[in-house]
Amino acid sequence: MVMISPSSGHSTAIELSAVSRQYSMGNATVHAVDEVSFAIPRGDFAALLGPSGSGKSTLLNLIAGLDRPTSGAIVVNGRDLATLDPTELARYRRNAVGMIFQSFNLVPSMTLAENIELPMRFAEVERGERAQRAAELLAKVGLGNRAHHRPAELSGGEQQRGAIARALVNRPPLLLADEPTGNLDSHTGQEIMDLIVELNSSLGVTIVMVTHEQALADKYARRALHMADGRLVNVVGEVAR
Amino acid sequence: MKSYDLLDLAVRNVRNSRLRNLLTTVGIAVGVASLVAMLSLGIGLQTLANKRLKKSGIFETVFVTSRTDFRNADRQPNEEEKPEENPPLDDNARRQIEKLPNVAEVVPEIRAMGEIEYAGKTHASFVAALPPSAKDDDGMASLKGSFFSSANANEVLVQQDFAKRLEPTATNLIGKDITVRYAERKATTDDPSGSGFSITRTERTFRVVGIIEEEPFGGMRMISRARVFFPTAVAEQMNLMQMADTQQMMKAGPQSKVYTMLTVKVINSTKAEEVQDAIKKMKFGTYSFLDATKNVRRFFAIFDGFLGIFGSLALAVASLAIVNTLVMAVLERRREIGIMKALGASDIDVKKLFFAEAAAMGAAGGVLGVLLGWGMGRVINAGTNVWLARNKFPPENFWYVPWWLVLAAIAFAIAVSILSGLYPASRAAKLDPVQALRYE
Repeated sequence: MVMISPSSGHSTAIELSAVSRQYSMGNATVHAVDEVSFAIPRGDFAALLGPSGSGKSTLLNLIAGLDRPTSGAIVVNGRDLATLDPTELARYRRNAVGMIFQSFNLVPSMTLAENIELPMRFAEVERGERAQRAAELLAKVGLGNRAHHRPAELSGGEQQRGAIARALVNRPPLLLADEPTGNLDSHTGQEIMDLIVELNSSLGVTIVMVTHEQALADKYARRALHMADGRLVNVVGEVAR
Repeated sequence: MKSYDLLDLAVRNVRNSRLRNLLTTVGIAVGVASLVAMLSLGIGLQTLANKRLKKSGIFETVFVTSRTDFRNADRQPNEEEKPEENPPLDDNARRQIEKLPNVAEVVPEIRAMGEIEYAGKTHASFVAALPPSAKDDDGMASLKGSFFSSANANEVLVQQDFAKRLEPTATNLIGKDITVRYAERKATTDDPSGSGFSITRTERTFRVVGIIEEEPFGGMRMISRARVFFPTAVAEQMNLMQMADTQQMMKAGPQSKVYTMLTVKVINSTKAEEVQDAIKKMKFGTYSFLDATKNVRRFFAIFDGFLGIFGSLALAVASLAIVNTLVMAVLERRREIGIMKALGASDIDVKKLFFAEAAAMGAAGGVLGVLLGWGMGRVINAGTNVWLARNKFPPENFWYVPWWLVLAAIAFAIAVSILSGLYPASRAAKLDPVQALRYE
């Protein structure tokens, strides 16, 4: 197990201290995430690598505030997620973190523009501003002319670009990507990765990407955290100390 | 989430599963329609009954008798008759009652046996007095001819069946003269006790001005149903021998003229009880129909309650359809709920969204149901009136949908729908977003 000493400070985006997540399966206890500690600085691009079942997606869900750890502490931008009640945790997901998924997860009954506006509805952004922000982001991801199409009318790459726009619409400092290129061909996957890297460098958004492709991590991430059986087993690249 | 966003998303979701939600909405509409139909029938019947009774003036009338009156139920058997406990119902009492607040009119009940002569034939009948206020009574709706031209007019109204005995075509009697023979009470001046009077056979001719179907309300008719009516002021001048005179005659000591009964009209039915209490304090016997109608009103309250319960049964069934629809929606939209939560929707947002969907269906079903119930009412009312017309009854409107019922039915439909949404909404809110996002 590789332990990276967590260090607090304003430059740290994510800090995990001995985070575990266990599930009960019948009589057995599954250690999906086991005593994981690391810290990621702001503006970083980190890849969480590992085979299926290694716990990387579970860890991402914990950082996203979709799940709570069985033990340990997760501090994101100075906020300890364990201290947040369900409503505060929802607010955290709304404003402090953006998520993109392997299967895009756009709402099929809504147009692309409506999908992008959805997180802003939860954040109670005024209608006029919503439309303006959605249009800006759609232009940024190159989908200005696809705003009124439904997801079924878009290609996989377009859907994922739309999902990226949606993830960033409430201007979160942290973007979590779960296998963002998993459902895309290599060419489209590369386009999406280029977009993510561009957002990382132009907006300074901290990125944590789950992938099982070593090549993708090598090419784009500044740091690679390898997981196996729920544990952090190796870290490649510069680590925050 | 802002209210308009909540409503927008809810309506959008309801539209997305158009057929299923439409069927559920129709279910609610049928429930509301049955509730509206039942209650509007109850309210309609009650309104009709009230209108009839109100128009008859029954609720604004208090009957006053002396406590020594032979009919008075208040009188205990063998009760010692103390003069101070049983004041006479005389002119003095009449003036006192007239002075009471909220009293519009005090008229004596004058009713006596008489003999009517017309075209050489005589007919026995009760005759009675009618006050000027009787003009507005419900019974006057059937009046053929006209009401008394003045309070002192030498005119009579004749009941239709009796008129037919005088003239085969009752209305031909209008404008004709009839002679009324009656017993007149004449005070004697030679009786030292002052209580004596003589009874004289008197006759007087009157002009028939109108024919009425039934005796209008205004007296305790009982067996003495009158057939010929004079203006009260005329009847008072006639000094018709009354039942009270006979009773009074048997008493010892000086006696003044007393009334068998006074009919007190109050300005408004809500004041009847107050006036009745005031007269009771004056130690007279009283009776008003408010006493009897208390039970009628209680009956209608219970009747409406039962109709409401039966009407609500269909809505209860519809509420199960709402639960079913929303539970299905939660299952179908698990992934969408997961996405919403991942994007920052709180449990409360999710819960509110499902409530809003339930409320939207409830509101649509409520409006549709009220229209349906109203339409059903019109159709049944029209159908019943056809039946009434065939049986030679006048048409009636026994179906009444007041505004409060329209609003209450829609509000009730929304409330029942929201209540039905409780379980599905809480189930949706409790969904684990990680599990929900995995759902295919």
